[in-house]
Amino acid sequence: MKFGIFFELSVPRPFSRANEWLTYHNALEQCRVADELGFDHVWAVEHHFLEEYSHCPAPEVFLTAVAAQTQRIRVGHGAVVCVPEMNNPIRVAERAAALDIVSNGRLELGTARSSTWTELGGFCADPDDTKKTWDEFVRVIPQMWTSDDFGWEGARFEMPARNVIPKPFQAPHPPMWVTVTTPGTELDAAERGLGCLGVSAAPFAEQERRTAEYYRRVADCDPVGSFVNDQVHTLNFLYCHEDYRQAAALGLPMVGAFSMSNAHLYFTREAYPTRAYQTLGNAGAALRSRGTPNGAAAADDPSAAKGLPEGVGVGDPDHLVRTIRKWEDVGVTGINFLLNAMEMIPQEQVLDSLRLFAAEVIPQFQTPAERAARVQAPTTVPEVGPAGGAASTPKVGRPGEAASTAAAPVGAGR
Amino acid sequence: MISGTASVDELAAGAAEIAAFGTEPVRLGGVTGLSLVAELRRQAREDVLPPGLHPIVPPAMSLLAWDVSESPWGPFSAVFIRVVCRSGARARTFCVGAAASTAEAVAGLRSQFGFPAQRADVVLRRHYDGIDLAVTPADETVDNAVARNGTGPMLELSALDPDPLSVGDLQHVGSMNLAHTPLGLRLVQVETHHEPSRVERLSARIDAFDAAAWGQPLLDPYWIVSCSVSLEDIEIPAIRFVCDPLKPAAEGTERVQ
Repeated sequence: MKFGIFFELSVPRPFSRANEWLTYHNALEQCRVADELGFDHVWAVEHHFLEEYSHCPAPEVFLTAVAAQTQRIRVGHGAVVCVPEMNNPIRVAERAAALDIVSNGRLELGTARSSTWTELGGFCADPDDTKKTWDEFVRVIPQMWTSDDFGWEGARFEMPARNVIPKPFQAPHPPMWVTVTTPGTELDAAERGLGCLGVSAAPFAEQERRTAEYYRRVADCDPVGSFVNDQVHTLNFLYCHEDYRQAAALGLPMVGAFSMSNAHLYFTREAYPTRAYQTLGNAGAALRSRGTPNGAAAADDPSAAKGLPEGVGVGDPDHLVRTIRKWEDVGVTGINFLLNAMEMIPQEQVLDSLRLFAAEVIPQFQTPAERAARVQAPTTVPEVGPAGGAASTPKVGRPGEAASTAAAPVGAGR
Repeated sequence: MISGTASVDELAAGAAEIAAFGTEPVRLGGVTGLSLVAELRRQAREDVLPPGLHPIVPPAMSLLAWDVSESPWGPFSAVFIRVVCRSGARARTFCVGAAASTAEAVAGLRSQFGFPAQRADVVLRRHYDGIDLAVTPADETVDNAVARNGTGPMLELSALDPDPLSVGDLQHVGSMNLAHTPLGLRLVQVETHHEPSRVERLSARIDAFDAAAWGQPLLDPYWIVSCSVSLEDIEIPAIRFVCDPLKPAAEGTERVQ
């Protein structure tokens, strides 16, 4: 089981320069502490215009700062929005490669397509097209990373042949993921050999069903990259305290406030009728995951959305160990935690929660070798060669494994 | 989380009265429905909603028009001007104004569901490649015309180039109607259940929109997001929940039945 921390960078109202500075710098401190404590990943979203909910439109900047201030923890885009009005795929490949180099090969690249009208509309992007552009992005980016003569004539992106540089430090390239909010996206991930980066709450039973289907399909996938990343991560909240009641008293309001701010986003499904968005994104998932014992009637009750998704990481260490065991049982290989929302929890208590979790909970999910590895100072550069070397391309492998790369075919696509 | 800041007393100026909550649904048959979403300027965010509701970012207006062939009130056409919002965590709209083409429909919409409906001439006319909607005041007095600074249409829009969608692609969001009820002044939660047989998305243009005539001068639908047309049957279930307009839904919700 891998443990990560996940940042939306939600900022409390009233907005001020000071509040935004504090949110960013508190997050950076949390990353430094998580690195020292042995957490595996830091993830940062890309969102635009989502007041209060997420002030993180430039994750490459935040993650570069994280990389510069840490030694071991992996830095992940959770995720780059694969919509050409927001990001050109060449720039995504270039920025990601550069970040992989400066982080000494610690990059994970999540991909997404945005679920809110606030964002898509703000960039005048066509919601009908985002699934198609995402599909094209995830196919071209790994080829840009591994070929020195890449050109493309696709449905929504084209470029004459160029050598997209620099190449990433990891060979053949960083692990690739797709964020999963709506049911069915895990199948898109599996078919392309992409890791499943859950970013919305789902009850245990639904997660188990979706995870099982993901593993079934990814075993027979046609990967878009040079290897299959068959990891399944889920998103959760974390507030850990020795006393369960104190944990709940501080942690649950944070969960509720974050979930409410999510529900207040203007989702594409609501604004723009299209086949491309069949659910309300995170909000729909959050509402589905809450208990509605009275069925449909309760689902319409405006006061009913007060419950919490099951399996939330708020409580004392024993409770969290039991909760994470359930997540482990349903097949997830990693849990990424939101640590705060709108700075509701004082920074010192966030850090105390991280430290307690690392001391009491993480070791329960590690082998002795993993425990030993966490206490080593990982300052050495990974022993991987520069990309673009040998002729064979391993199609199945694990990120971080030494692997040679090959030039990808030029002019693929339509 | 931001909340509405409008004066409930001012919002209640044209509020309907529900003398008794009904227990039976109302069925509307053979409905041509038009749904348009447009972004509003920021001035119409908190200032047009009561404190019990929450704006979205960006602020948006949801316009709904029905041309109804069969109903308990006979055939009628109606338009509903609504501000997209949240009640608690739920997607809702706040109905700031409504118009219906017959006195029977106005009475039914007001007395059973709390819509702030007024009489108007509502014409929803479908063409082979589009649809037009026009709303003009019915029996307007000189005072009313002066108050809204003109005598032109309350609303004129046209939409062209229908593009077929699946019937499940269109989402419907319920209305919160500020009305006098047996429980006091409340936001009445009105749901609609739709059985569409055809849904199309079109490109729309608003040629005229008299915000004052709809009771909310701050509305300025300047950026059209989407427009769709459907053929459907609609059921409006009896009211089940009302909310205190001054309290968030978690605290102010009451079950009616």
